[in-house]
Amino acid sequence: THRDYRMPCYSTKGEKCKRFLQEFYTEDDNGKKVFKYGAQLVALAHREQVSLFVELDDVAEEDPELVESICENAKRYTGLFADAVHELLPEYRERDVVAKDSLDVYIEHRLMMEQRGRDPADTRDSRNQYPPELMRRFELYFKSPTTAKPKVVRDIRADSIGHLVTVRGIVTRATEVKPMMAVATYTCDQCGAETYQPIQSPTFMPLVMCPSQECVTNKSGGRLYLQTRGSKFVKFQELRIQEHSDQVPVGNIPRSMTVYARGENTRQAQPGDHVAITGVFLPLLRTGYSQAVQGLLSETYLESHSITLMNKTEDDELGNDELSEEELREFTSEEFYDKLAGSIAPEIYGHEDVKKALLLLLVGGVQQAPKGMKIRGNINICLMGDPGVAKSQLLSYIDRLAPRSQYTTGRGSSGVGLTAAVMRDPLTGEMTLEGGALVLADQGICCIDEFDKMADADRTAIHEVMEQQTISIAKAGIMTSLNARCSILAAANPAYGRYNPRKTIEQNIQLPAALLSRFDLLWLIQDKPDPDADLRLAQHITYVHQHCRQPPSHFTPIHMKLMRRYIAMCKKRQPVVPESLADYITAAYVEMRKEARVSKDTTFTSARTLLSILRLATALARLRLMDTVEKEDVNEAMRLMEMSKDSLQADKSSNTRTQRPADVIFSLVRELATEGVAGRGGAGGTVRMAEAEQRCVSRGFTPAQFQEALEEYEELNVWQVNQARSRITFV
Amino acid sequence: MPSTQDWINNPLGVVEGMFAASQNSPNSGWEMKAVEFFKDQLKEKDTHTLVPSLNDVPLHYLKPNSLVKFRCFIQDMFDPEFYMSAYETVDPSTKAKALRCGKYRDVTECGVDFNSSNTVTSERQTFYCVPIPGENPWVKEKYAGDSQARVVPSTSYVPSRQKRSHEDDEDDDMDTQPQKQREPHTGPHSQTEQHGSSDCKRQETEAPSGPAASASQVDLNFPLPGERGPACLVKVYENWDSFKLNEMLEVFGILSVSPALSALAEEKDATSSLLDPMEGMESAEEQRVHCPPASLVPRLHMLCARTLPHNNPLLPAAAPGDNSASLSASVSEMASVREELLAYFTHVLLGDALAAEYLVLHLISDVYTRRDVLPLGKFTLNLSGCPTVSSYTERLYQIIQQLVPSSFYLGMSLQNMNQMSFVPRKDYVANRLVSGALQLARNTTLFLDETKLQQGQLDATGVRNVTALGNLISWQKVDYDFNYHQMEFPCNINVLVASEGRSLLPSDSQVHLQPQVAPAQLDQYLGSLHLHPQTSAQLNKFRMYLSMARLLDYSISDEVTKSVEDDFVDMRKDDPQSVSAEDLHRMLVVARLLSVSLGRTSLSRDGWLRAKHIEMQRKSRVEQHKSVNGNEP
Repeated sequence: THRDYRMPCYSTKGEKCKRFLQEFYTEDDNGKKVFKYGAQLVALAHREQVSLFVELDDVAEEDPELVESICENAKRYTGLFADAVHELLPEYRERDVVAKDSLDVYIEHRLMMEQRGRDPADTRDSRNQYPPELMRRFELYFKSPTTAKPKVVRDIRADSIGHLVTVRGIVTRATEVKPMMAVATYTCDQCGAETYQPIQSPTFMPLVMCPSQECVTNKSGGRLYLQTRGSKFVKFQELRIQEHSDQVPVGNIPRSMTVYARGENTRQAQPGDHVAITGVFLPLLRTGYSQAVQGLLSETYLESHSITLMNKTEDDELGNDELSEEELREFTSEEFYDKLAGSIAPEIYGHEDVKKALLLLLVGGVQQAPKGMKIRGNINICLMGDPGVAKSQLLSYIDRLAPRSQYTTGRGSSGVGLTAAVMRDPLTGEMTLEGGALVLADQGICCIDEFDKMADADRTAIHEVMEQQTISIAKAGIMTSLNARCSILAAANPAYGRYNPRKTIEQNIQLPAALLSRFDLLWLIQDKPDPDADLRLAQHITYVHQHCRQPPSHFTPIHMKLMRRYIAMCKKRQPVVPESLADYITAAYVEMRKEARVSKDTTFTSARTLLSILRLATALARLRLMDTVEKEDVNEAMRLMEMSKDSLQADKSSNTRTQRPADVIFSLVRELATEGVAGRGGAGGTVRMAEAEQRCVSRGFTPAQFQEALEEYEELNVWQVNQARSRITFV
Repeated sequence: MPSTQDWINNPLGVVEGMFAASQNSPNSGWEMKAVEFFKDQLKEKDTHTLVPSLNDVPLHYLKPNSLVKFRCFIQDMFDPEFYMSAYETVDPSTKAKALRCGKYRDVTECGVDFNSSNTVTSERQTFYCVPIPGENPWVKEKYAGDSQARVVPSTSYVPSRQKRSHEDDEDDDMDTQPQKQREPHTGPHSQTEQHGSSDCKRQETEAPSGPAASASQVDLNFPLPGERGPACLVKVYENWDSFKLNEMLEVFGILSVSPALSALAEEKDATSSLLDPMEGMESAEEQRVHCPPASLVPRLHMLCARTLPHNNPLLPAAAPGDNSASLSASVSEMASVREELLAYFTHVLLGDALAAEYLVLHLISDVYTRRDVLPLGKFTLNLSGCPTVSSYTERLYQIIQQLVPSSFYLGMSLQNMNQMSFVPRKDYVANRLVSGALQLARNTTLFLDETKLQQGQLDATGVRNVTALGNLISWQKVDYDFNYHQMEFPCNINVLVASEGRSLLPSDSQVHLQPQVAPAQLDQYLGSLHLHPQTSAQLNKFRMYLSMARLLDYSISDEVTKSVEDDFVDMRKDDPQSVSAEDLHRMLVVARLLSVSLGRTSLSRDGWLRAKHIEMQRKSRVEQHKSVNGNEP
């Protein structure tokens, strides 16, 4: 009676499943109906497809309630859907199918037997009927709705038993794939009847006595013998997954979980793979003695429905939607640029400009491809400096922050090194190409510590990577070119322990100029005494000791995850340089070249410098989420260039007393004026305003500072500015 | 109200009584009430001393299913298990159904109705706990001496069994039911296998895992070699997220040593290889780790527990807030105790008062907070210039051992460095965290004896070990090896490095020992050193002083902060090369420790100047030594 009560309930559900499979369609671009599952059923019927994935998103369109019940009782619904498919399949069969393996032949044979021997009077024992599991050659799985968030192993509790869940983790163990009996087939030695036994649990008790009508009535005592060829086996594999390290609360051990994979889900993952597994969380049924003793405990496992491999990037991008309005507001505040930069390695004090440069490196410039020529958009930065100035910390922070990155040292220990190597597989003897750090960091950032101690072979290869963004291999008969579209962030120690400002960079770092010029920015980080900075440093440290926490700076560092998402958003922008800015940039470049010729510069100012400025400027525009580059972007890019050059001319600031910006601007303008006198043969002490501003900006001053200086000296009556504010005349 | 004996001897009776009472009123929250009951009982004065402790009573003296306590260290956390917290039994003869409570026990009663709809499945967590690693003998003795538990040998206890080893117990278990069960399908193969496994166990037992290896030692996964004591599987029923790995706990729970547990494991072992394709995964090793025989690794069902902020039996164990009154009396004495201790250390350190001062600071140091990755308050000391005669360093360690609750001596010989496992690593075959010497509880003193190091080759393990030590000293963290990735575990270990020259390991401060004893008399001096009389009263005073100084609150006023900042800027002005941010960090730590060592809870201007002064002294000594030796880095 209990049964009678329930059956109709589920049979209506079964009808629902059937209807869904038959009637669900999507419309393609032409408005034509595409029967997604109908098409797959045809493929299933012809044995061209093995597994059918029912996407719960599709089900939700038809019947949201059904989705809920599926998620809560997934095992039951797998059966219902499978029954529905089983019933539908004959309708979808369009032509005869060639038997693929012996089991197909068996099934065909059995069906024929059944039809031939169909006799209304023949009441066969249910055991002797073909169980549906035996006849099915397809597998049915659910794909969880996209709204369901992947869970962490430790969040799967007792209340999830029976539910469809998605978990993420790393595979730590995988058994070999073994055949597992799904239906045992026996034949009787007396009457010859076949008996079938579907097997659900890990162990089973083999049948001994023949249950057929004939044997029972005759009391002939027929013995059953197991028939391996007639039984159905499925591929079976057991996996163990463990939580990711970032999902584990501090001070806890990562949890693990057992996963059973059958059929098409086997051989999907190997130990060490990051996976997301959708499956039904079930208790393990034990039989016999162990059940009795075990008593209180029940083991659980995840019956997998789908196993997807993930790499580090995808893993981070999961659930990576656009930033919400509220989150975006944080980035639209006045000083978001400073704030973002300050959030890079907040535990390292100071170095604002270096951090700004690193921020731009993370965002990257726009790649240009005019007429087949490729100009990289990735920004390369080299940090130099005395030992112990937190270079490595900055590198490792960037490595952690960037969604795709490789951290390595110039003294790379493996044979593969930085670029790539051809290796002979010891087992098969095949030649394989194995990528080094630079190849693995394609579309990401490659952080190279101890850049100066790089092996010679790598050093030559890195030239190509840094400009062409590819690596060419011509080894052992393999000639190919691998993509290595990565930004390089290098850290180098000075050759003589400390940086010697009186020597050139090449001498200090012992790297060829050709390589150094490929860096957009070179920073020298030095430990110099400076009362103001020292005081701030002291305040910072004492605060930490006094209050046991980070001092309340004007901002709280932006969380790494949020930052990653923002940067990902920035990267989608492709800002262009408007026509109107072209002249401004050219003029600035010409100015810089002139500058380089006049002063004994330790760095080069070449066409590469111009490209660097463009890259930095586009990166800045991206950071503002704008589609065009503005004048401020170019100014800031030039300022950063200038600051990086300044950092290299270490002695300049320590010898001369630090000058106020206004004073420096004044002397710059005066220089310009005397140049003008010499050049144009006595045009008087008059300088064009635009020209003066250009010069100052190229030296790393902001236009605001320039205006300030202008007003200050005007008040002092040193120079005069005409009404149109286009000319400065010295008094 | 049950009598004392009842709730200690038969805690399950109390639990079941509450369970039965709750059946009439659903949602009564009997679970909470049961836990509260035991907490209340233990709150009463000294009642907790009545509970026998697994630490000092041999397992076979303890009554099964009685309340016991265990002072332990969480070495590993297993995956949660699902169990039936309530189930129904059917009496085979009368067919009467009864609802039973499955909490706090391992084995069900007979006749479980598995299809009953009244079954409630719940979740519990298992911790693998070992005695606190490196716990010094005086601590053990003191705790054992305080205990008032009257241990009555359990009724099942037979005197003749006393001398039998654990394996024999196990064999005993094998003789019962499960063995017979197994026989039908065990061919000669499985018979040998069974013998094989017990042979294997015996081998483990006999393998010398340390200098003090004894026959009773099995691979119980102790962090340190030569440790002994019971390991325990602690089953936690609530709030397991509040416990962390490597924490010190005092667990009150119900002891379970049912032989059926081991029987279950054996049974599983036997079937796994033959019949069960699903079982291929759960290897024999895993079985042995997660289901060891209960006679070796008892189960403890936790009723309540508290994390121990320190392991000093001389101090009240309560949270620092509660006992400020009792502490304050002793705080006033701190300055005078400090003087005595300083005099003693000066004597021990061959008359070097400065080194003695630093040793005191080191012993009371504690990572009080972390700012991002930077641990604050750590103070690793490198005592260089240790005499290599008359095993001076060992003596020094013995003296320290007498003073701190837990410590470990690590001779950094090449052999040790190349062979010992320092870093815990996950063994995926056995599914457990294999412990290493650096898995230590908070404030354990790790004494590294670098004078034992000779020239030679460090292999891969050796290099990894040195790196691990370096990370431990610089960041107070250990990167546990999870094969596919590493996981950072913060720690709080006081590392003291004794070396001849400057140590190859980093340190927060290096003090070069300046013996005031002529080299000729050194031998004689050292000979008398150990015999220096220390009354136990004085020793206890020192022990209390060192632990207490750590618990003091400390603050810096804005005023002093200001002057410190100005000081720093001035120092930088004079000589920027010699004073860096790191130096300021260190000086602030020294100032903190110095103030706290005097029982002061805030930094004064004087304290700062004094810290600056001793730092200067120490630095000049290092410089001086550098110029003498010339080639020192």
